[in-house]
Amino acid sequence: MVAALVLPPEEEEESMKMDTIAPRKRKPVRLSPLLFRRIHKWVGLILGLQFVLWTVSGAVMALLDMEKVGGHSAAPPPTASSGWSPDIKTPATFGKVEAITLRNLVSGPVFEIKDERGLRLADARTGAPVVIEEQLAADIARSAFHHEVPVRSIERLEKPNLEAREHAAPMWRVNFADEENSSSYVSAVTGKPLVNRGDTWRTWDFVWMLHNMDYVNRTSFNHPLIIFVGFGALWLSFTGFYLLFKSFRRREFNWVLGKEKFE
Amino acid sequence: MTIRWPLLVRRVHKWLALFVGIQVVLWTITGFYMVSVHIDYIHGDHLVKAPEARGFDLARLVPAEQVVAAHPQTQELRLQHWLDRPVWRVQTTEGRYLVDGQSGQKLPTLTQAQAEASARSVYTGNPTIVSSKLLMEPPLEMQSAKPPFWQIEFEGWNRPTLYISPTTGELISRRHALWRVFDFAWMLHIMDYDERSNVNNPLLRVATWSAVIMALSGAWLLLWSFPRKKRKKA
Repeated sequence: MVAALVLPPEEEEESMKMDTIAPRKRKPVRLSPLLFRRIHKWVGLILGLQFVLWTVSGAVMALLDMEKVGGHSAAPPPTASSGWSPDIKTPATFGKVEAITLRNLVSGPVFEIKDERGLRLADARTGAPVVIEEQLAADIARSAFHHEVPVRSIERLEKPNLEAREHAAPMWRVNFADEENSSSYVSAVTGKPLVNRGDTWRTWDFVWMLHNMDYVNRTSFNHPLIIFVGFGALWLSFTGFYLLFKSFRRREFNWVLGKEKFE
Repeated sequence: MTIRWPLLVRRVHKWLALFVGIQVVLWTITGFYMVSVHIDYIHGDHLVKAPEARGFDLARLVPAEQVVAAHPQTQELRLQHWLDRPVWRVQTTEGRYLVDGQSGQKLPTLTQAQAEASARSVYTGNPTIVSSKLLMEPPLEMQSAKPPFWQIEFEGWNRPTLYISPTTGELISRRHALWRVFDFAWMLHIMDYDERSNVNNPLLRVATWSAVIMALSGAWLLLWSFPRKKRKKA
């Protein structure tokens, strides 16, 4: 390793000599530190900004506390049941039943049914339709995401926003008055707690966008732009790594290796 | 004494590169792998079929109220198909199990043949099974999933493996060679060599900020790298 680093001083462009090669009209491409330095410079010029953004966004993501970013794990499991009421009764269904689930909502047991009338909730005791109203959504959000602070505002979304982009609308966005400015999302159809987002996540998501270069949806990291730039970055790092071996002189390591005795 | 900025910045760039160079090479290689192979493929979406909506005839099944009356610790009860028969999936704080939709009897844990049949019923490729094992300890590739589970490997160059729950017959995870490479690449990318999941580790923080300064000093050097040449030629 050290031996490889003990190389002549870095070549300046002017020091290129072609005298060993037969003269030709076009300069032959020679594998040399100069060529690698050129590649390094030009790729750096073209893709340098993204390279800087990758390092900065990566460093910021490493700093942001994963726990506070959150949002990756599914919603917490439903609260433990304290036994089931004896008057639970399967409600009327229509046509082919595709799915049926019995579970507890903060307001009591419900059936979630998917049949010819679509996806809906029914009260498990009376069979009456259950609509997820504002207040119920806030209660669900509070219990599912363990919020102990007051609700600041509630809004209904007919389309998922950027924060809840992985979930199906319609949904309720419940904003809590905490330091993180948390927003909890609850399905307006099934009452399921969907996801919780705070300011740490919002910062994280912005830098994640810079990192994955998907400036519109922020989700995909498999698009042609990033593959192209990533390929260029490989050239940048490979040539840079190679140049490391050409850029150091023996005397720069005197502080670790001591002075060369024969000098 | 005046500071020769180009020289100083160049030294910073060089020495930081010496310090984090190998990691930067690894970041670009692993990053390039992760962006090049589509994440849906990595997740193994191509290995399994989407469940078909077959529908249930509730009139011929044990009703939900009867199941929860017999299993009061139920948190959630869901009707689903398992190997072409309707079953109630009971979820409790301790875990999940199945209740036969027609008899209302709790089903015992899966036999090896049933686990293999469950895996085959969702698998899209060549149904030849190379090995099937009931694991009590989670292998590295199952991350934080809680055992036990059936590990069923199918024939194929990429060693496709499905993990099946021994109590419900449900698919827990799918793994294959490119997933394993991705996981290894991810480990190198985030520099967490033990758990492969902690993106806040101090090593990564030091390396990333060093890389930031290296990249910025490199960008700065570009300012001197191009105009200087022109002037000399002129």
